Amino acid sequence: MYCGQRIIASLLSFWLALLCWESHAEPLKINGSTTVNLPVAEAAEVLRGKYAMQIHVDTQGGSSGGISMLGENQVQIGTSSKPLSVSDRKKFPAVNFQETRIGLDAVALVVSRDVWESGIKSLSKLQVRDIYEGKIKNWKQLGGKEQQIVFFNKEPGRGTWEVFAKWLYGDTKLAPPVRHPEVGGNEEARTKVSSSRGAISPLSSSWADGKEVFALGIRSEANEIVYPSTQNILANKYPISRSLYLLTNGPPMGNTKLFIDFMLSREGQALVSKHGYLPLASGQ
Amino acid sequence: MLFQNKSPIALYSWFSTVFLLGSMGMFLFVFVYQSIPGLAHSKLSFITGDVWYYRSELFGAGAMILGTLLVAWVGLLIAVPIGIGAAIFTSEILPAKLRILVKITIELLAGIPSVIYGLLGVLFLRNWVYKLLTPFDPLSGDTVLTAGLLLGIMILPTIMTMADDALRNVPAAQRLAARGLGLNRAETICLIVLPQARAGIMAAILLAFGRAVGETIAVFLVIGRQDNRWPESLFSLRPLFEAGQTMTSKLGGSEVNIAYGDTLHWGAMMSLGLVLLIIVGLVTHLSARLIKCGAVHA
Repeated sequence: MYCGQRIIASLLSFWLALLCWESHAEPLKINGSTTVNLPVAEAAEVLRGKYAMQIHVDTQGGSSGGISMLGENQVQIGTSSKPLSVSDRKKFPAVNFQETRIGLDAVALVVSRDVWESGIKSLSKLQVRDIYEGKIKNWKQLGGKEQQIVFFNKEPGRGTWEVFAKWLYGDTKLAPPVRHPEVGGNEEARTKVSSSRGAISPLSSSWADGKEVFALGIRSEANEIVYPSTQNILANKYPISRSLYLLTNGPPMGNTKLFIDFMLSREGQALVSKHGYLPLASGQ
Repeated sequence: MLFQNKSPIALYSWFSTVFLLGSMGMFLFVFVYQSIPGLAHSKLSFITGDVWYYRSELFGAGAMILGTLLVAWVGLLIAVPIGIGAAIFTSEILPAKLRILVKITIELLAGIPSVIYGLLGVLFLRNWVYKLLTPFDPLSGDTVLTAGLLLGIMILPTIMTMADDALRNVPAAQRLAARGLGLNRAETICLIVLPQARAGIMAAILLAFGRAVGETIAVFLVIGRQDNRWPESLFSLRPLFEAGQTMTSKLGGSEVNIAYGDTLHWGAMMSLGLVLLIIVGLVTHLSARLIKCGAVHA
């Protein structure tokens, strides 16, 4: 009995101590898109060093994960590489979503090395649509070598997928059901494309390094090929581009405001361009 | 007799039991309650239908259930012969000290977190399987076969330790009697010991099957996550060389995030979880009954 009382007393005091410690400092929690994560994670590092802030950055579930975790009040900032839709707002009616743009990005169609070296350097929108719907199954049909096309589709809810589907069909709801292997974030897409023959996948253009995966140009109706280079994206010539967002519930305050102001400042925008995206000041 | 003992320990254990049963019961109730919209919408086509496309509100989990069973079957195909063989070796042939050493090592393997297996699968197994299957022209190294192989390695320690325990439970007197009657070691093992340990070994296989069915992260990383692949013939090997989807890889993916807030979609995800729960529950229950049977016989 005496021993039991001791154990219970020490357990209780441990729990109380844990409660006190937890309520002491409220860290800033950020979650969402793997695309936006690159500059955000580095900004968090800088702020941690400068102001000794506690910031947790995560990429669970991509852009949709960012939106739903913000909606459920599990994070203070949700990062997203797709704009908020009406259904997103309807799902969380009590939340006052506020979008803060921090940069611009393009979605490229990347292919593996063997496809690039077999001569395929660009595709038209119709060809991409036929690949997506499974009507074209071999690179031979597009002028490349004899190799079956492996299209790695992005998981539902990924910002990259929604931008890609919107470009192909005008509205994500019009996209038909397809049978393709799926990948999650940008990292997984790049790994799987680079390690499979005949692979193609939508990927944020800054991740196409030209060493493992190669970004195709888009052939317009006028037979003009546009590659996802910085100039083309800025000049609005590359058709598949999107804004990068930081989402908050209501206008940002406190630590949240500190972080967002940093991202919009010159230092933060330098981080955005460092990771291959386009900063806001470039005329958008 | 149950209510006579009023000491603090007895009261504490009563309280804990009631709390545990109550919370598990509530959890199950909430689970079943939330899956009703999904089941009501799809009815029987939830299990037989093979198209899962949430944007058109089509929820057919047939291809996923098949994927789960295929992956578990490949895993068992690898783990059962090797596991039972290893168990026979450790329980019948190894001297006692070596046996303890081997058993400890195997049980350490059983304790490795499944995400480690998953990462090793992504780093090595995917590429090996991709090279191996080149004559069949797979899309990538992510196939049902890869997931099955990985699962086989994961459930091997479970089968081995439990089969070893089952074999040890056969009394030594049986082996002595067999030797006395002139049977050699191989005959003793095959004709006397194995049949008597049958119940325990079946329980081991069932438990390993339950674990294989419920394994999420390792399968998620290497199976390719391709929906709606119903094979032309149920007896062909082709589905093994293609990417697939299991119930766990769907539940471990991003659709759960999207489904939140949408009653129908969330109900469908919960129903998927319910089907998984029922399968694993049945298998575990059968396994427990077999262990009891085995103990009674011995």
